[in-house]
Amino acid sequence: MAEKIKLFVNGVEVEVEAKKNLIDAISAVGIEIPHLCYHPALGADGNCRMCLVGIEDGRPPLVPACKTPAREGMKVLLDAEHIKKIQHDVMELELINHPIDCPVCDQAGECKLQDYYMSYDQKESRMTVPQVTKGKKLDFGSGVIHDQERCVVCGRCVRFCRQITKTGELGAINRSDDTRINIFPGRPLNNRYALNVVDLCPVGAMTSSDFRFKQRVWFLKKAPGICHGCAKGCNITIDHNRQKYEDDIIYRFRPLLNKQVNGYFICDEGRLSYKQENDGRLIEARLSTQPRSIDEILTASTKEIDRAEKIVISLSPNCSLEQMITIKALSEKLGATLTGYSEGYIKQDDGDDFLIQDDKSANRAGLQLLEIDNSRDTFTGAIREADLLINFNNNLLLSFAEKEISKLLKGTKVITVTSHDTPFTTMADMAIPVASFSEYAGTVVNSDNILQSFGKAITKNIDLDDISGIAARLGSPLQTPGERFAALQQIISALNGFEPDNIPAEGLKLKESEAANVTA
Amino acid sequence: MSDRSQLISTGKPFQYDKERDAEFERLVKRYPTRESMILPSLWLIQEQEGWVSQEAIAYAADRIGTFASKVYEAATFYTMYHLHPMGENHICICRTLSCWLRGKQEIVDYLETKIGIKPGQISEDGKFSLEEVECLGHCGTAPVVQVNGEFHEDMDVDKLKSLLATLL
Amino acid sequence: MEVKILSAKFDIKDAHKIEVAKEHGAYSTLDKLFSMTSAEVIEEVKSSGLRGRGGAGFPTGVKWSFLPKDTGKPVYLAVNSDESEPATFKDRYILVKDPHMMIEGIIICSYAIGSHDTYIYIRGEYTTQFKALQAAIEEAYEAGYLGDTVAGNNFKLNVTVHRGAGAYICGEETALLESIEGKKGQPRSKPPFPAVAGLYGCPTIINNVQTIASLPFILNSGADAYKAYGTEKSSGTHLFGISGHVEKPGMYELPLGLPLLEVIEKVAGGVLNGRKLKGIIPGGSSTPVLLPDEAKTVTLDYESMAAHKTMFGSGGIVVLDETVDIVELVKNLIDFYHHESCGQCTPCREGLGWMLKIVKKILSGKGKMDDVDLLRELCDNIEMKTVCVLSAACTMPVRSYLDKFRHEFEAYVTTEDFSAAEAKEE
Repeated sequence: MAEKIKLFVNGVEVEVEAKKNLIDAISAVGIEIPHLCYHPALGADGNCRMCLVGIEDGRPPLVPACKTPAREGMKVLLDAEHIKKIQHDVMELELINHPIDCPVCDQAGECKLQDYYMSYDQKESRMTVPQVTKGKKLDFGSGVIHDQERCVVCGRCVRFCRQITKTGELGAINRSDDTRINIFPGRPLNNRYALNVVDLCPVGAMTSSDFRFKQRVWFLKKAPGICHGCAKGCNITIDHNRQKYEDDIIYRFRPLLNKQVNGYFICDEGRLSYKQENDGRLIEARLSTQPRSIDEILTASTKEIDRAEKIVISLSPNCSLEQMITIKALSEKLGATLTGYSEGYIKQDDGDDFLIQDDKSANRAGLQLLEIDNSRDTFTGAIREADLLINFNNNLLLSFAEKEISKLLKGTKVITVTSHDTPFTTMADMAIPVASFSEYAGTVVNSDNILQSFGKAITKNIDLDDISGIAARLGSPLQTPGERFAALQQIISALNGFEPDNIPAEGLKLKESEAANVTA
Repeated sequence: MSDRSQLISTGKPFQYDKERDAEFERLVKRYPTRESMILPSLWLIQEQEGWVSQEAIAYAADRIGTFASKVYEAATFYTMYHLHPMGENHICICRTLSCWLRGKQEIVDYLETKIGIKPGQISEDGKFSLEEVECLGHCGTAPVVQVNGEFHEDMDVDKLKSLLATLL
Repeated sequence: MEVKILSAKFDIKDAHKIEVAKEHGAYSTLDKLFSMTSAEVIEEVKSSGLRGRGGAGFPTGVKWSFLPKDTGKPVYLAVNSDESEPATFKDRYILVKDPHMMIEGIIICSYAIGSHDTYIYIRGEYTTQFKALQAAIEEAYEAGYLGDTVAGNNFKLNVTVHRGAGAYICGEETALLESIEGKKGQPRSKPPFPAVAGLYGCPTIINNVQTIASLPFILNSGADAYKAYGTEKSSGTHLFGISGHVEKPGMYELPLGLPLLEVIEKVAGGVLNGRKLKGIIPGGSSTPVLLPDEAKTVTLDYESMAAHKTMFGSGGIVVLDETVDIVELVKNLIDFYHHESCGQCTPCREGLGWMLKIVKKILSGKGKMDDVDLLRELCDNIEMKTVCVLSAACTMPVRSYLDKFRHEFEAYVTTEDFSAAEAKEE
């Protein structure tokens, strides 16, 4: 436990964590100190001056909270008249050269200038002289569009590119009120995390060309989730909306703080992977290429299973632990060969030392925990002898060339249970559509052996069953979520004492030896 | 301060001549970090070319091993770096307090009519450029004019006439 | 009234050359220096009462003693030769006329604080001064006063001149450090103070040229000899720059504590062309203006200035005669500080530009009384809300003009004669 100290805020004693700066220490007890330039991931800069607070008997008596560590007995003044006046005065100065184009600004609704105007200013403009004009709609590259006039020059974006990505594309050019953010000509944003500057920007100066003008943020519903773009398992906020007469659509992924996993950021590829939740989905069951009802295909599938001599069941490394264990139970019941072979999900040397992993699947660690075979030899050996392959969302075309897999599957019936309509889907004899990860609840284990659970974020108009449900209907003994979780608890001791919905938000760090704790 | 963010591209790669190259290598040894060379490297560019182009900034950044954005920041922050070609004779007139009190405006007015350009401009023949600058630290001998780096103190129209005569 | 301590060699022909300077005593303190301990040197400087001559007036020896001991990191000395505050033009005389006095001072200071690397930060505009200084440093290296064994002693010292490039703010000591590090001159938040974490994160002392140049005399003649000049709390001499509307503007070395009006009269020859005195800026453009009546009791020292609600500053005295249009003067000042704002802190970055536009509006004749009030209010709203004091350097004097010459501002907004006002519109 972090060391605690007592200090006073507006005369009221509060207990806060020692060694934090005043903004973080005091916000932990629910008291906001306004700030624009400070960001916990980027450190204190002290340029915006919004966080100036009074320190009773302090020397000096006025300090930037972002640069001031919380100390025992400190008497912090936030609601004193002279502090409220400073907050107002600084807000007035932030706004004099701001275009106040909120009606056409994407940030409207989640803008610190708007929020702080309401909280600390609320006065009419006294600006009767011409404003400073600067550049608008500048393409900074990597899908980032910049408006220099909306910018408050907090420098978060500049610091992000220098401190976090170490690519340094952005600079604060000029000085005085001509200061503006820019790229050096011909050297645009060129890093795989660039879109984080859009989230970091406290105002509407940095916008994403992908999200621009697509949706007013106040219409967006926010749900937490886990990115399935790679094995890191970055925490995300899924911003979605169901417009009248339309389906529930995801508009963007944004990073969600998880200090144990991704911190404050996500990569651009993961961020834009929301599109795959909206597009290219399989929403109908098929017999070969013909649409059929799901029930019809399930009945046909059961017949195929009954008829088959040798069955191979393959599953995706993106499946949740619940899905994996349900499939495993099904496999054991059918005496099938179970394989999680999915080498094609791994892009060698694509990862970095920050968030991006080589492995583009969300739960390969789960395969290992559940001791599901991963090898190519097992897969190819078994498939040659098999007369039926039941494939759970494993896009085999990532691991095999089309000719190769066609040859391997010759004489083998293929039932594919899939969230997406891929070329592999069309190769299957039968296809059953299932929910994708934003549409079901589950648990995954990331590349750092951290187990995380996520809830169902999206309910589509056609609310498809998830893989566990389909596996259950195909005969898996694990019929209910409760049974599945109990089965997981048998294997993963860290889950004991938890329910699916009370796993800590920051996840459970599993012991390296967790896989050895198999009791069955 | 006015906007200095628009850099001019020469379309040609920049590099130091032999002398500046050697000077760069001499100076870089004087600092514990290479980034300390940002200001000196820009000075060397300006000494060589008379101004600082987009290519020259990129060159300095790469030579130092730093982000071009950092050199770009410095080049635009420090107003003595010329980001476009200047006149053969660059005339700076101090516009601040003591020079203003002692009649800098007469100097500016005379130069404007004589050369036919305003501060911030370059004459068509490229012979002159004028700039009003902030305090040059010669307040006791105001007004002061700096031509190609040389100070001319206690200026008045008569002195200016003879000074211009040497430049024309 | 004039004395010749720092300026002793200013009138000697070629005193900037090392052989001439040496004939007149340059580097003669070094034997004594190296026979002393560094603590003894610091003690001598402390007891001399020498205060920082850059403008803040902080006791020099005390500043040195803030250096933490035995950090395992190098200690740096940065000499502030950025002198950019309007009306300040003293240090360049030292750079050009007696650079070896400063180099000797650098040796003394470096020995006292245990530093082996000095960076002299000289403003970019000082082109000829830079050359003179550079030449003197090369001479000092050749003569063995700089380099691996200073004057044959087991003491290494390197001196590097770093040129600024047109940024007043680099005279602020942490902006100066940033600039040496290759960054924009944007002041750092304090703490940490440079003595603890300065240049390249190492303990650093930053001293003004004149402060450093005062050291040879103090060491040579002793603290008491230095204290014989000036007042009890403001000891020694200062290079005053007198400019504006006087008969004999220029740089004069004077002991501290002389009556301001007497100095203007006797040293600078009185107000130009016998005109009436309107006001005096006592210590550079950032110091609040004094009315003639107020000036009567002012003496040229830190304490008297503070008692008169202004500042000693850099010792740059500007005399304003009756012809000065105070509103125009305020525009000239705000223009300067707006131009020089580093752009870091919101109040200074946005506020000074706003103030400039308001004063232009007043001058154009389109101003209202509200604008005068707003200008006055902004002085309070901006001041002391920022990392450094640049904004205060603007608002403090502007407030003084608004308070002491408000009628001149009001005249612009109440005048019926718009034609005269419009002529001034830009």
